[in-house]
Amino acid sequence: MTITIALPSKGRMKDDASAIFERAGMKIVAVGNDRSYRGRVEGWDDVEIAFLSASEISRELGNGSIDFGVTGEDLVREGLANADARVEFCARLGFGHADVVVAVPEIWYDVDTMADLGDVAADFRARHGRRLAIATKYWRLTQNHFSGSHGIQLYRIVESLGATEGAPASGSADIIVDITSTGSTLVANHLKILTDGVILRSEACLVRARKPAHDSDPVVGRILSAVRDAL
Amino acid sequence: MPLINLPAFSADLLADFESLGTLRVDTPVIQPAEPFLAMAGEDLRRRIFMTESETGESLCLRPEFTIPVCLRHIETATGTPKRYAYLGEVFRQRREGGNEFYQAGIEDLGDTDIAASDARAVGNAMRVVANRLPGRSLTVTLGDQAVFEAVVGACGLPGGWQKRLIHAFGDQKHLQKLLAELADPKAAGVFGPEVERLAINGMLDDEARLVAHIGETMEATGYSTNASRSPQDIARRLKEKMELANTRLDPETLDLVREFLALDMPLAEAPAALFRFAEKTGLTLDGALSRFDARVAALAAVGADVSVIRYRAAFGRPLDYYTGLVFEVEVEGTPAVLAGGGRFDRLLTLLGAQEHIPAVGFSLWLDRIEAAIAASGGAA
Repeated sequence: MTITIALPSKGRMKDDASAIFERAGMKIVAVGNDRSYRGRVEGWDDVEIAFLSASEISRELGNGSIDFGVTGEDLVREGLANADARVEFCARLGFGHADVVVAVPEIWYDVDTMADLGDVAADFRARHGRRLAIATKYWRLTQNHFSGSHGIQLYRIVESLGATEGAPASGSADIIVDITSTGSTLVANHLKILTDGVILRSEACLVRARKPAHDSDPVVGRILSAVRDAL
Repeated sequence: MPLINLPAFSADLLADFESLGTLRVDTPVIQPAEPFLAMAGEDLRRRIFMTESETGESLCLRPEFTIPVCLRHIETATGTPKRYAYLGEVFRQRREGGNEFYQAGIEDLGDTDIAASDARAVGNAMRVVANRLPGRSLTVTLGDQAVFEAVVGACGLPGGWQKRLIHAFGDQKHLQKLLAELADPKAAGVFGPEVERLAINGMLDDEARLVAHIGETMEATGYSTNASRSPQDIARRLKEKMELANTRLDPETLDLVREFLALDMPLAEAPAALFRFAEKTGLTLDGALSRFDARVAALAAVGADVSVIRYRAAFGRPLDYYTGLVFEVEVEGTPAVLAGGGRFDRLLTLLGAQEHIPAVGFSLWLDRIEAAIAASGGAA
């Protein structure tokens, strides 16, 4: 059986992922020219490489149409319901670090914890005639953190596909759930992270789609130990 | 439109509703999603079927009837009191059972006699369930958030804590966690370094200066002072939070709240038991208790069999528009809730009604009633 590994198709993520596989003794070469979206691994005839966007990789892992993928944990946990039942996080690769965080305006002197936010959300509508609005592209992670972990139900999600950290100042939302790596964008926008507001510490991971056929396939085990030994 | 998958007893049920003096209404299956999400919270999004209109409006398949019936009432502006009945299909993503199923029920809007309309809702629900399941004994569980609010209020807790506890009522796990926090002498709020600076500058004791300082900082950092929380909101809540952090519940008061939440008894015994509880603890609950007693008396007056009703003090729904009575009807021997209802006095103004409209109602799970009929060997 041919095992398909999907890697990010461009940018730092692509270079960092290729470097790890090379260290693991799996040198990746593009099929055709180096802009090609297919690749193979030198000396590993039963492995093929697909170059996809990071969010496509999370989706294809969920479908099981690829066997392994390198992508951010945040994208997998956001994209797939019951992620741990459908995929296995095999290795954390040490790059692509980003935290998914709850951030509120710095000026909210009275809000430093999720419990504070719960209080504010509970009577937000009585005071403002609408629900507390959260700008985010992370619907699932936000819902799990607010409703599942902190019992906060009374908020609305406002979808934001870019420049999320500007939403509170512009008035299109009250607070945000977004990724941050250094926190500098948040500070520049006068936002602060709640003390218990880190939803996920994400980084690039080697992720395996859970497929029954993998149990009896020696190539799966070889890939895993090669990558783990290279870290 | 005769539908082939209607429960066999639908016609009899509608006849019951008519004999109870209600007006049958229908509402479109496709509804704007916004009111459901705004009322029930974002969690509902995963449990309803949503789509979008060509112009980008969020729509959903009707997940329940109460909100559409109330919206229809507000739009048609025909005045109160009104008693509406409905029967139709609702659509929800459920862990068990199908995703589309029938619900029926009654919404009683605008009756200002609270005890009588509460009792009528419970009595009607019991009657229509009993008519579908002759010979089977019902069990009813009844709760009342107003009594809990009175207990919390009488304990002398600061406003912030009262709000937290009342908001968690009905969610046992969350409520117990809050009570543990409230009793823990170590726990205290988290305050950022800015608050320390404000304290050193003496601003925390001078609300006017604090509000002005917050307003100036917002202007300077490009935040609008009226798009979200205002400087006054922030200053007020900061004061509330300092009270929260400084309040610890003494063990006696904590025991008392827990003792209250553990009350579970036949409804007929509840008025006396609540009176004894108030007397023993020295809490002043008079208003809430007299309204509770009036409801028990009204239930007997409408001919409901009070002996099958249990009062459970901790029973509530963690939705902020439920204000008082909640109840559930089961049939003995099965754990399924066949009917559920309660009082939702806040809902109509939240949905845009100009005047306050008291409201109480219930809905029936027709698929579960069908299953109960089949289980008891009757013809469904």
